[in-house]
Amino acid sequence: MRLFRLTFATILQRKSWAICAFAVLVLPFALPMISSATEKPILLQPARILAAWGTLWVSTLLWGLFTAAREGETNAKTGVGEYFQTTGTSATRQLFEIWLAVFSFVAPLALITAAISQFAAAPSDPVERSMWLVLNLQYTALFLLVIAPLLAFATAIASRFGGITGFTVTLFITLYGLYGIGYLDNMLKLEANPILHGVWLFSPHYNFADLTQRLYFKTGALPTNAFWSMTVYFAGILAVYVGLSRLCFRTKLSA
Amino acid sequence: MMMSKQAPSIHLDPGLEIGYGSPLARFGQEVTLTGGTHFLLARNGRGKTTLLRTLAKTLKPLAGNFRVEGFVQYLPEDLRFDPEITPAMIFRMLLPKNKLADALELAGRIELDVKKPYGRLSTGNRRKTNLIMAEFSVKPDTGNILLLDEPFSGLDAFARQAFEEIWKKSSDNVLRLVSCHPDYDSMEMPSAVMIEGQNARHFTGEGQTWSGLKNLMN
Repeated sequence: MRLFRLTFATILQRKSWAICAFAVLVLPFALPMISSATEKPILLQPARILAAWGTLWVSTLLWGLFTAAREGETNAKTGVGEYFQTTGTSATRQLFEIWLAVFSFVAPLALITAAISQFAAAPSDPVERSMWLVLNLQYTALFLLVIAPLLAFATAIASRFGGITGFTVTLFITLYGLYGIGYLDNMLKLEANPILHGVWLFSPHYNFADLTQRLYFKTGALPTNAFWSMTVYFAGILAVYVGLSRLCFRTKLSA
Repeated sequence: MMMSKQAPSIHLDPGLEIGYGSPLARFGQEVTLTGGTHFLLARNGRGKTTLLRTLAKTLKPLAGNFRVEGFVQYLPEDLRFDPEITPAMIFRMLLPKNKLADALELAGRIELDVKKPYGRLSTGNRRKTNLIMAEFSVKPDTGNILLLDEPFSGLDAFARQAFEEIWKKSSDNVLRLVSCHPDYDSMEMPSAVMIEGQNARHFTGEGQTWSGLKNLMN
């Protein structure tokens, strides 16, 4: 795990992770203070939920994907990937170790957010509160399941096409899966189109993993069947991205 | 799994051809290299890096076969770490714990500031960092092969001497193939692989020096 340790230390040394950690820890408490929640205390809890999970998504999409892409690019461009390859660390192993290093920073951010959501934004009603833990766990699991393969994909694309490409492609895919798919859905409701329907069908429906509104409106935990269906669906997407990432990843620039 | 202790070796079969698409060099005779230091000599663009990459198996030969026995490390000439990480962190992350103190001691002796960010080090000091990393990553329980691409460029004479001393002490279980452009005539080269024109050959002999070999290069 030498490449993991090196990548982890590199990210740690750059310190930009501290901004994300600070944002994830502080913004859920600071942002509601400058919103209308100060006048209506009843809005404080939902405002905190929006701020907490919103900050997590923004931090992960901007910093997480960028860091993953940067690590993939530098590994291929600086000779580090080639060095490790000659020592017997295969391309698959290198991709895994780089991914693990980046994920080791992203996963705690998700756990902090879930903890804030659980302990600092839980509803007072006992019935609503009883479902809160399950919903938070479901959200955290789905979030990590969505983000994990995207980090690997950003690393892989960046190793072949450069850091900017790796970052923008994965950012676009995620934003499309979170928000674009909703617009596509609305268009299909207005007018049936077989081509658009095909695009919709094969698009990653990341909006299913965004349970912020469920927390916000206190609609309770996902039914077990629905949660497992989503887990299998996102695991399928993960498998596709793992395959694509491995195909795309390279340890050195072409000669 | 424990690797059994073995002597490192490189066997190049006659007919081995290296290059990118078109051949850069061809070995007409069999070459066998064992533990110790071997120099790789050629003019610019004649295939030194290509041969090292081929032996490191990051590049396929155009024709022929070769065998490499031992734990390989190929240190590219342009290897560089993240500019913000320090040599001390690099050593801590990449070297076995029992070698860390020795690595830091050598770094101090050759005046490498291990607390300075890598990006702010001079070319020579970056080279020292890379070399220390590779030298102290050598595995004691098996044969090792270090393929070093231009390790001396930018390195001061004192540091170079320090590394050459390490090389002498570990010549039994480490085979080093070192590409370089020698800078003084009396440099001893008991074993040298030379690429002249498109032919690659192995020259050996006690007392063989750069002054005798350079006349063979065209």
